Amino acid sequence: MALQIINAGPPPEAIAAKIKDAIAIEMPDAVIEVRPRGPGHFEITVTDSAFEGLSRVKQQQRVYAAIADLMSGPQPPVHAIDRLECRVS
Amino acid sequence: MALDEAVRQEIQDLIESNDVVLFMKGNRRAPQCGFSATVVGILDSMLPDYHTVDVLSAPHIREGIKAYSSWPTIPQLYVKGEFVGGCDIIQEMFGSGEIYETLGVEPVEVVQPRIEISDSAAAALRQAVSEHGGPGRELHLTVDPTYQANLSIAPRTPADIEAKTNGITLLLDPLSASRADGIRIDIAETPNGQAFKVDNPNAPQVQAMTVRELEAEIESGESFELLDVRTPEERAIAAIPGSVLLNEEEATRIESLPRDTKLVLYCHHGGRSQQAAEQFVSLGFSRVFNVTGGIDAWSQEVDPDVPRY
Repeated sequence: MALQIINAGPPPEAIAAKIKDAIAIEMPDAVIEVRPRGPGHFEITVTDSAFEGLSRVKQQQRVYAAIADLMSGPQPPVHAIDRLECRVS
Repeated sequence: MALDEAVRQEIQDLIESNDVVLFMKGNRRAPQCGFSATVVGILDSMLPDYHTVDVLSAPHIREGIKAYSSWPTIPQLYVKGEFVGGCDIIQEMFGSGEIYETLGVEPVEVVQPRIEISDSAAAALRQAVSEHGGPGRELHLTVDPTYQANLSIAPRTPADIEAKTNGITLLLDPLSASRADGIRIDIAETPNGQAFKVDNPNAPQVQAMTVRELEAEIESGESFELLDVRTPEERAIAAIPGSVLLNEEEATRIESLPRDTKLVLYCHHGGRSQQAAEQFVSLGFSRVFNVTGGIDAWSQEVDPDVPRY
């Protein structure tokens, strides 16, 4: 049986809050939902009228750009976004 | 994350100097991650040539491209300077057909493959599905570019094509479907027990070439690899002009060539070269020819100055 590695980083809820804040800075009118899905993994839903007329890639790029700092570096707090849903409000 | 100006410029140059650029792990022939391999498979089905950048051998590009594109994952596809997306988006665009317009190529017609499954194979597949299947987990058949077939139980994807036969529903991705028409699935007895046996009539086979045809090919000036599979001793007695001895070094060189390279093989009478030709087909080469009658036929029918032995 494999040894389970306990993640000693900040709790997922704290990182989720950081993700939410980072997106809110770039997209102040957005409704943002961040759900932890396991160590370093998250699901995000962003709803904003600013997505209007943008392709799916462009919508997601806006969100990824906002959280780039949390996903870069040697040991980033955010390892992967398992699901990113962008909705037009 | 701040993007170093030199790195930004390097990435921009790559994107501007190539119509289609895939930033991936590994290269086109040897992808080092499943997501990169999936995208390569999709692009290979539509484009004879495109540029790839291996981010594993260029760590500064690996980090840089994420910032450049505002996209956190690899692979990433750029077409005519525009970011298209990663694996999920490309699969989706392939399923919907949107990718053809993006790449500016003619759509491949989606074929409904005719598949035959023997009664014993159908029973074994039903058994496997009842044991390992379940909600959202269904039976898949994939046929890769070298025509290796693989059966698996996995989640359905939107682009999958259904083939129903003998009470079994098989799911195939569009590329596999285009290679699967006429496939027959049966059960074979092997030393390790029963196994599925898949016969695919579309799989490339060694084609025969007469010495007269070979002579015409050489005269036409068309480029191809003429490979002599005999021993160096035999080659010292006689050889067809323009041929190369297929030694280990040469075999390594051939294996690194594009799979649509035309290969023509000969030996003394055509037996050994047939076996070598089948090897190249199994490596994925699609245009492999064996010279019927070998160099002996060449001496008799084309060039009597080449000594017989």
